[in-house]
Amino acid sequence: MKSNYLLFLAAGKLFGARLVGAIEILSWRRPRVVPLSYNYVDGLIDYRGAVYPVFNLVLRLGLTKPGPIGFAAEAQEQGDAGRSIILLEENKVPFGIVVDTVVKMAMMEDPSGAMVTAAPVDPQFVKGIVQDDSHDVVILDFERLFHAR
Amino acid sequence: MDFGTRFLILSLGGENYAIPITRLLEITMPRNIQKDPKQADIFEGNVEYRGAWIPVVNMKKILKITGGPGENLLVVNSSKGVLGLLVDSVVEILDTDQKPVPMPRGVVNPSLTYFRGILRYKDNLVPLLDEDGLLK
Repeated sequence: MKSNYLLFLAAGKLFGARLVGAIEILSWRRPRVVPLSYNYVDGLIDYRGAVYPVFNLVLRLGLTKPGPIGFAAEAQEQGDAGRSIILLEENKVPFGIVVDTVVKMAMMEDPSGAMVTAAPVDPQFVKGIVQDDSHDVVILDFERLFHAR
Repeated sequence: MDFGTRFLILSLGGENYAIPITRLLEITMPRNIQKDPKQADIFEGNVEYRGAWIPVVNMKKILKITGGPGENLLVVNSSKGVLGLLVDSVVEILDTDQKPVPMPRGVVNPSLTYFRGILRYKDNLVPLLDEDGLLK
């Protein structure tokens, strides 16, 4: 079965989120930090009457960004300015994730459910890997990533 | 639980927080805090309030916010008794008909009992503190 996916980059890796209901893509804004929150929680944002937790995907997955080398070092110093916050929902729970770049929307085959490896991403957080234009797209299990604790 | 419609907005480490006015007994300056070496690290000591000694809690230590203990003392009624809470400043009283939004799932450990939820205040989100859950 095919579904619509939003493709985005985080730490140089291509990920996909299945589009369920409304989705919003916001330019990065400073979330309200909550003391004692998990280290991968950037905070909360208020958008159109709903309070969204904003999760830092790179930190949650334990990925490291490619280090700044030479001319790239300057661009790296931009910090959060060029990033986006995607507001999604899974199992009717709304949440936001911080990503480096939103790539595109694409109609893709749903993952088969078979166990796959997408190193260095922890396999327990991966629903599957699908292909788009011969690129591997990692489909994440957001419920496990952010709500299993 | 009914929190009423009025909340005290307070500041800690440059960010705003709220507590229900219904639990607030007094806003005062911390004077003559008597240190008690037997108390846990989150306490600054005890103060006399209306003839009784009440513990003074350093809110920044509870919430792991850096900085000094704060220069305003809120005396509140909690399920653990009357407490003094040290905060940086009192911002204003929010009169609202909004119901606090529950803290979204996945943000803090569910065993943490310091927050009742979230309030909207001047285009910002403000955690509503749970004075009953501050002390174990």
